[in-house]
Amino acid sequence: MTWRPDNRLALENDGSRVDVRDKVTGAARYTTDYYPEGLLWASYIRCPYGKAFLRSSKLEAARAAPGVVEVELEKQEGTYPGDRLGHICAESRQALEQGLAALALEFERDRPATDIEREKKPLETFDEDPSVQEKQADLERIFSEAAHTLERTYQTQVQTHSCLEPHNSLVDYRGDHAIARQSTQATFSVRNELTEVLGLPPDKVEMHCEHVGGGFGSKFGLSPEGQLAAKLSKKHGRPVRVLMNREEEHLDNGLRPGSLQYMKLAIGPDGKLLGGRIHTWGSVGPVGGGGGTSNPSRYNFGIVAKTHQDVNLNSGFPRAMRAPGHPQGMFAVEMMMDELAEAAGMDPLEFRRLNETSDVRRAMLDVGAEQIGWHRRKPSGTWEGPLKRGFGIGVADWGNSPGEATITIHVYPNGNVEVLSGSQDIGTGFRTLLVDCVAHQLGIDRARVEAKVGVSTYPPGPGSGGSVTSRFVAPKALGAAEQARQDLRQRVAREWGVPADEVAAENGVFKHADRTMSWNEACKLIGQDRLTVTEKENGIFWKEPTGSEAVQFAEVEVDVETGIVRVKKVVALQNVGQAVNCKTVENQITGGVIQGISFALFEDRILNRQTGAMVNPNLEFYKIAGSRDIPEIVPIIWQSRPDAGVNSLGEPPVVPTPGAVGCAVANAIGVPVRRMPITPWRVLSALAERDGGAV
Amino acid sequence: MQPFNYLIADTLDAALAEYAENRPVLKAGGIDLVDRMKERLATPAVVLSLGEVEVLRYIEPEGEGVRLGCLTTLADIGRSELLNSRYAALAESAGHAATPQVRERATLGGNLCQRPRCWYFRAIHFHCLKKGGATCFAVEGENQYHAVLGGGPCHIVHPSNCAPPLVAMEALFVVRRAGAEERVIPAREFFVLPSSALDRENVLAPGEILTEVRIPRAPDQSATIELREKQSFDWPLAMASVARVDGRRWNVCLGAVAPVPWVSEEAAEVLGSADITPELAARAGEAAAQAAQPMSDNGYKTQLIKVAVKRALLKAAGQEVPA
Ligand SMILES: Cc1cc2nc3c(=O)[nH]c(=O)nc-3n(C[C@H](O)[C@H](O)[C@H](O)COP(=O)(O)OP(=O)(O)OC[C@H]3O[C@@H](n4cnc5c(N)ncnc54)[C@H](O)[C@@H]3O)c2cc1C
Ligand code: SF4
Repeated sequence: MTWRPDNRLALENDGSRVDVRDKVTGAARYTTDYYPEGLLWASYIRCPYGKAFLRSSKLEAARAAPGVVEVELEKQEGTYPGDRLGHICAESRQALEQGLAALALEFERDRPATDIEREKKPLETFDEDPSVQEKQADLERIFSEAAHTLERTYQTQVQTHSCLEPHNSLVDYRGDHAIARQSTQATFSVRNELTEVLGLPPDKVEMHCEHVGGGFGSKFGLSPEGQLAAKLSKKHGRPVRVLMNREEEHLDNGLRPGSLQYMKLAIGPDGKLLGGRIHTWGSVGPVGGGGGTSNPSRYNFGIVAKTHQDVNLNSGFPRAMRAPGHPQGMFAVEMMMDELAEAAGMDPLEFRRLNETSDVRRAMLDVGAEQIGWHRRKPSGTWEGPLKRGFGIGVADWGNSPGEATITIHVYPNGNVEVLSGSQDIGTGFRTLLVDCVAHQLGIDRARVEAKVGVSTYPPGPGSGGSVTSRFVAPKALGAAEQARQDLRQRVAREWGVPADEVAAENGVFKHADRTMSWNEACKLIGQDRLTVTEKENGIFWKEPTGSEAVQFAEVEVDVETGIVRVKKVVALQNVGQAVNCKTVENQITGGVIQGISFALFEDRILNRQTGAMVNPNLEFYKIAGSRDIPEIVPIIWQSRPDAGVNSLGEPPVVPTPGAVGCAVANAIGVPVRRMPITPWRVLSALAERDGGAV
Repeated sequence: MQPFNYLIADTLDAALAEYAENRPVLKAGGIDLVDRMKERLATPAVVLSLGEVEVLRYIEPEGEGVRLGCLTTLADIGRSELLNSRYAALAESAGHAATPQVRERATLGGNLCQRPRCWYFRAIHFHCLKKGGATCFAVEGENQYHAVLGGGPCHIVHPSNCAPPLVAMEALFVVRRAGAEERVIPAREFFVLPSSALDRENVLAPGEILTEVRIPRAPDQSATIELREKQSFDWPLAMASVARVDGRRWNVCLGAVAPVPWVSEEAAEVLGSADITPELAARAGEAAAQAAQPMSDNGYKTQLIKVAVKRALLKAAGQEVPA
C-alpha cells in the first residue's frame, strides 16, 4: 500500500469554542470549584509596606482563634509590599481571615525605594561599558554625518497581570500518592515541582487543570500558592487550598516591569536610520533582575550601542508577562520613529516602510493603511476644535521554532473521537484547536470530537509560554488524526477486499468505485475496544515557519481641553501562519489589542512614596479598560503564504498596540506624551509644557 | 469579613426604633458598606438592612417638584422618564455612575451617605487622620485623585455623583429619627467639610436615617458633565452640575474636586441669571477654578473644573458639547 498522506490544514474554520457553553453557563470547573472533604485553607502572612520590620504580633491570639490550625512567622523583615513573612492555616476561609486579623501585625517602617528615576544609575555610568566603547568611533561618525539626531527618553509603568482568576492551588496529599489542582499555564511543571515538595515519584502525583481564568505569563511552576498548599497538605494529611485575593494578585504574583528608555538616534539625509545610543532601565524587585526591554527592535536601526540596568526597588518581582519586554520596548521605539519622521519631514508610514526589516510587514503596512484610512491623517496638531483625531502605527513579530509534544487520539467503534493532551487550556481555546485539527483531518463533524486536556496523566505537552502551545501541538494532532484516517481506510479496504490505496477517504466517507461507507460504519470495523493512535513527531505537518508578523493602526480622539483619550478604531493585522479556528484567532488578536490599550491608557501600579505600600491593589483604582473604552477592533488574519503551518499567536498582538496608540495621541495633539499611561493628567501636562506652563 | 448579626427591617418605624436603640450599622444596597466590611475597615457587630422596606423606593411627582425615596436605585433614576426630561442633571449623573450592576443595587440614600474612596482611607494599613491617626498620607503622597478645593486637614473628594446635581437643583434632604420630628435640610447644608468634622461627611446624628430627597421645583434648565479617565467602571476626575431654578440665578456645584459637593459662588456670581453664551460659560468655568489649590499631583483638576463647568452650562442651554 502506498502511504498517501493528506497534509491539508483546517482552513477558514469559523466554529465557536468547543467549551463556550460550559463557560457561559458556569458548568466549566475551575480549581476553586472543588471542595474535597476535610479541606483546610491557608494563606501567607504579608508585609504591606515596601521596607519594614515586624515590631510586634499577637501570635498566640491568632493561634487561639477559633478554627485556626497553625500560624508560623518565619521572618521579621519585609522588603517589598506583599513580602511573605509566614503563613496561617485554618479550617475555613472565615477562620483564616479572623486568624489573620487577630495577628495584629505592627511594623516599624523604613524609607523604601519606589522610584526608578531616583534609584537608577546615571546614563554616563554606562558609557564606560566596553560594548559602548567599542562602537564609540562609529557613533561619533554617525552623529556627525546625521541629517537629524534626536535624543529622547520614554517611560512606561508597571503593569500587573490582573488575571481574572487569581492564583490558587489545591493539594491533596494522601501518603502514597497525591492529587493536585492548580490554575496554571504548565501542568507538568507543577506536577514536577510537587514531586519534590511531597517526596513522591511523578507517577504518584496527579495534577489537574481543567480551566484557567488567565495567566498572561504569571502562572508557571508550583509558585508560592502551590508551595504552601503542598507543604501543609503533607504536614496535615489533608487537602489544603491557597487562594490569593486581589491585593495579593497585584503585590506578589508578578508584573511587567516599568522602564525608562533613553534613545539618541540619527537618521541620514534619505531618512534611513543610521544608529545611535540606547540605554534602558527596568524596575525590578528588591533583589534579582528581569527588567529587560526589547529596544531596539524590529526596524533597521543601523549601528546601536545598547546597555541596560535593572533597578532594584522595594516592590514586587517581575514575572513573564504576555510578550515580556516587548510592548514597553515597542512603545518607545514607535514613539521615537514618529518623532524622527517628524524631524525628517516624512510621513510616519513612509518612514517605516523605508526602515522596515520585513517584506511581509511592508505589505501589511500598505493594507493596514488602507483599512484605517491613513489618508485622513493630518499633520500633527492641525485638527480644528477641541476633539483632535490622530493616527499611529505599531509593529511586531514573533519567533516560531518547533518543539516537543505528544498527542493521543482514541476512535471508538461508535464513531466518537477523543483527543488527549496534558497541556492546559489557559482560556485561549486550546481544546478548540485540538478538536478542529482532528475533526478536519478526519473529515468529520467537530461535534464528534472531544478534547481532554490539562491532566498530567495525559500525554505530555508544553507549558503555555512563548506562544508555543498551538505551534508545538497542532502538527501532532494533525498527524495522529491522519494516522487514524489511514488505519480506518485499511480496515475498509480489507472489508471490501480491495487495495487500500484505491479507497478514497474524504470528508469522513470511504469510497471505492460505486461503493461508499460512512464514518460510523467504518468505525464499527475497529476490532478492539477502540483505535488508539499516539503521535509525537512533527512529520509533514510542520511547515517552514513564518515570523508571526503583526502590524496595527490606531485611530484616537483626544479632547485637548480635558486630556481624555478615546481610542476609536484599531486595525490589527496578524500573521499566524495557518489559522486553525478563525474565531479563536480573532479573539486572541482582539484580546491583545484590548490589553495593549489598557496598558497604554489606564493601568498603573502605584506605590506610596512614604511607605512603599501599593495604593491601588484593587480593580477600582488599578484601572483596566472596560467595555466603553474598547473601540472598534478589526482583526485581520494575514496569510503570507498558502502553505504555512500553525504559528505563534498569543503574544504578538499585544506588542504593537501601546506604540500605535501613543503615536496616534501625539499626532492628534501635536506633542508626544512620552510617559505611559497616557492619562488626562499626562496629556494636559504635555500640552501645558509645550505652551510654557505647567499643570 | 468578621462575623456579624444581620437584621432585616420590614418597616421604616421598626428600622428607626432599632437604629436609635441599638446603634447597628445601616445597610441599604450594601455596595459601599460590604466593601468596607470585606476590607475590615468596618467591623460591625450588627448590620441593619433597610432593603426590604419597599415603601422607601419611589419617584413621586409632587406639585412643581418630585420626591424620591432613599431606597430608589441609581438605575431607577437613570431609567425614569420624568427625571430624564425635567431633572436631567440628576438622571444623567445617576445613569452613568459606576456600572449597570452597581446601579441596580446602589440606592440614592446610600450614594449620598457613602464613605470616601480615598485610597489611604480604604486600606487598613494606612492609619490616616480620618481614621484617628496622625497624618493625611495624601499631603506628601500620591494625591492625583484628591481635592483641589476645600481640603484640609483631610483632602478627600466627596464620592457621590448624585449630590452635585441635587445641590444645584436646591433639593431638600428629609431625615428621620425615632420619636422625633422629621428634619428637612437643604442639600448644600447636609455635607460637612473635614475642617469641621473628620469622622463623618455629613450632618447626620446617631440614629438618623435619610429617608427622602425632595426637589421642590423642577429646574428650568439643568445639566451635569462628568469627566472620567475611563468611560466604564470609573469615578469622575471632576464633574459639574448646573441648574437654574424658577428664573433665579444659576447654581453651579462641583463634584469630585472637594470633600463636599462644592458650591461655586464665584461661578454663580459671574452668571447671575443670564442666558448662557459660550463666552459666559467659559468665564464661569474660569471663575469656578479660581480658588483651586492643587496638591502636588492634581493640578490638572483645575483645568477640568473649567471645562466641566463650561460644558455643563452649554449643555443646559441646549448646545452641543463634546461628549
Ligand atoms: C466600581 C465602582 C464604581 C463606582 N462609581 C461611582 C460613581 O461614578 N459615582 C458614584 O456616585 N458612585 C459610584 N460608586 C459608588 C456607589 O454608587 C455607592 O457605593 C452606592 O451608591 C452606595 O449605595 P448603597 O445603597 O449600596 O449604600 P450602602 O453601602 O448600603 O451604604 C453606604 C453608607 O451609607 C449609609 N446609608 C445608606 N443608606 C442610608 C440612609 N438612607 N440614611 C443614612 N445612612 C445611610 C450606610 O450606613 C453606609 O455607611 C461606585 C462603586 C463602585 C463599586
Ligand atoms: S485624604 Fe483624608 S481619608 Fe485620605 S489619607 Fe488624608 S486624611 Fe485620610
